[in-house]
Amino acid sequence: MWLWFSKLGSPRWFYELSNKWLPWLYAAMIALMAIGLFWALLIVPEDYQQGQTIRIMYVHVPVASISLACFPLMAVAGTITLVWKMKLADMVAKSVAPIGAWFTGLALASGAIWGDQIWGTWWAWDARLTSLLIQFFLFIGVIALRSAIESQDAAAKACAILAIVGAINVPIIKYSVEWWNTLHQPASSISFDSVAPNPPEVWVPLLIMISAVYVFFVIALILRTRNEILQRERRSQWVIDLVSREKSV
Amino acid sequence: MQARALFCERDERVLFSGLDLDVHAGELVQIKGSNGSGKTTLLRILCGLNDDYEGDIHWKGEDLHEQRENFFASMIYIGHRVGVNRILTPRENLRWSASLHAPVDDMRIVAALGRLGLRAYEDIPCRNLSAGQTQRVALSRLLISAASLWILDEPFTTLDVQGVKNLESLLSEHVNAGGAIVLTTHHALNVTCPSRALDLDTRRAAA
Amino acid sequence: MNNTVSSHAGTDISTWQAFCATLKRDLVIALKRKNDLLNPIMFFLIVVSLFPLGISPDPVELSKVSAGVVWVSALLASMLSLDNLYRADYEDGSLEQLLLSPQPLYFLVLAKNIAHWLISGLPVVVLSPLLAYMLYLPSEAYWTLVLTLLIGTPVLSLFGSIGVALTVGLGSRGLILAVIVLPLSTPVLIIGAKAVTDVMFGLPIGNHFALLGAILAMALTMAPLASAAALRISVN
Repeated sequence: MWLWFSKLGSPRWFYELSNKWLPWLYAAMIALMAIGLFWALLIVPEDYQQGQTIRIMYVHVPVASISLACFPLMAVAGTITLVWKMKLADMVAKSVAPIGAWFTGLALASGAIWGDQIWGTWWAWDARLTSLLIQFFLFIGVIALRSAIESQDAAAKACAILAIVGAINVPIIKYSVEWWNTLHQPASSISFDSVAPNPPEVWVPLLIMISAVYVFFVIALILRTRNEILQRERRSQWVIDLVSREKSV
Repeated sequence: MQARALFCERDERVLFSGLDLDVHAGELVQIKGSNGSGKTTLLRILCGLNDDYEGDIHWKGEDLHEQRENFFASMIYIGHRVGVNRILTPRENLRWSASLHAPVDDMRIVAALGRLGLRAYEDIPCRNLSAGQTQRVALSRLLISAASLWILDEPFTTLDVQGVKNLESLLSEHVNAGGAIVLTTHHALNVTCPSRALDLDTRRAAA
Repeated sequence: MNNTVSSHAGTDISTWQAFCATLKRDLVIALKRKNDLLNPIMFFLIVVSLFPLGISPDPVELSKVSAGVVWVSALLASMLSLDNLYRADYEDGSLEQLLLSPQPLYFLVLAKNIAHWLISGLPVVVLSPLLAYMLYLPSEAYWTLVLTLLIGTPVLSLFGSIGVALTVGLGSRGLILAVIVLPLSTPVLIIGAKAVTDVMFGLPIGNHFALLGAILAMALTMAPLASAAALRISVN
């Protein structure tokens, strides 16, 4: 177990392993995305309340679910960085932050488009949108802190602490925002919840879309982490060999 | 205190590697080296401020990380930034520094300041003192602390001739009484106690 | 003098004394620099007075937003004074001495945070009824406002301390501190301001205080630990 753990910490091992994974991930993503999109956009029947608008859900829900997963992931990577000083964990943490910010931004944007259709306004201080917005700010904070600290080690540790503090705060923020919102304008948060009781032909394509976007997320994360590995290990022999091989091909 | 196989890298530049350093009670170790050779970094690693190193440091036979409190209680560090607040008076500064370790009564503080030539300056805000005088305020901490290990980074820089003499006799007294000192300085030490030097430049040249 | 040298340096002094000495030191520094003491209050006063100028002098409209205005201004006042917490100590080396103390860093950081609250938070709490009056806050909500601020502003100091500890070593901090600290402070702002508004509508507010109290308890136990870890990194 420990051997496996320390092996996992080796950037080179990760880089070479991901070489093998990536083609499969690409294939899985294309297949899932094609089936999911086709099903969601063309086959799924219109919603009896929202009509065609319901199709935005197939983008919004997967994107939002990933944006919620990013902060805990960053906190876990940060904890590993602090406790075991594993370099790969920090590379992952560094890579997650911008992806998380992008996904949160996408969730906000798709939420706004959906909101325009069903509430008649681009922005409502809906509980979910508001807590997504604050989470977006938290991501920006982590990215800003990372770019402001020159020393790589110090940046890794500082961002790890901020990620952990933020991850503890995210549920509190979410809870307080929901509580703040629902008492005064309970009407605004319908529709998002109306997914569950729906028939299988509605939620099966949603499930496919969620897995498709998850695979996309994993690919993006791996690619970013690989970039980071090459950059940080640029002076080590295996990277130099790799680059010269690429050049000669 | 023992340090084994210390390795430190700063901004992708190796400052030192495989460095062994033993400091025993009753000796003074002077770290020498040109600017940027890693003297300050080494001291900060030894005193526990800097964590970015590989290797082991033992204090009285045990790993430093496992007995931080013990180590901190018997060590005093004075760095480039001497740790003297400009708004407070020397007396208030020392009272606070002491309380972080073990509080002392005012008599000791006044006596310590007097020994370093700061009599009658006890209650003047430190912003009105010169750089050398501020340095002396920091050095007074050595006299009111019970620490056995002193780690001093360039303690002589701003002192005048009398101050240098004063400090040298202070160092000798401490070592002869069984204390240990690690310090960096470019000044030729004139002390009456067992001392040796570690030159980071010649180490690197040899490596 | 020689007999003070001993290999078994006694740490018979209790952590409590170090805690008190640190608290006292920070308060003395603030008292000697009148600016530290006056600036947060003046800032709070000025920001609050800007709102009527920007919104309208109408008592009905102002009383609706008064709770939020006072709370947001308190948040900003607390944040702007955060730099005093560790900046000077970082620059003159006192922070290194603090980190090298054999006493648990948790309590020393807590002492500094409490000092910061006494200097920048408490005056705001004391002054808040006056500003609430100027903003036509209904009188039945005064006590709620003061109490929520009393529980909430220490949380702002404690969370803010993490942000300053993370950024104290940076040359150009700019707005990073605000970007880090403000999102963390939103739950306190939401609950505090909402408690005051709910009282104006005659709603029960027991829950609000329970939540604020829970957040304060959590911040008291965990935030100084995070600050301490962050300080060790920044001073490295």
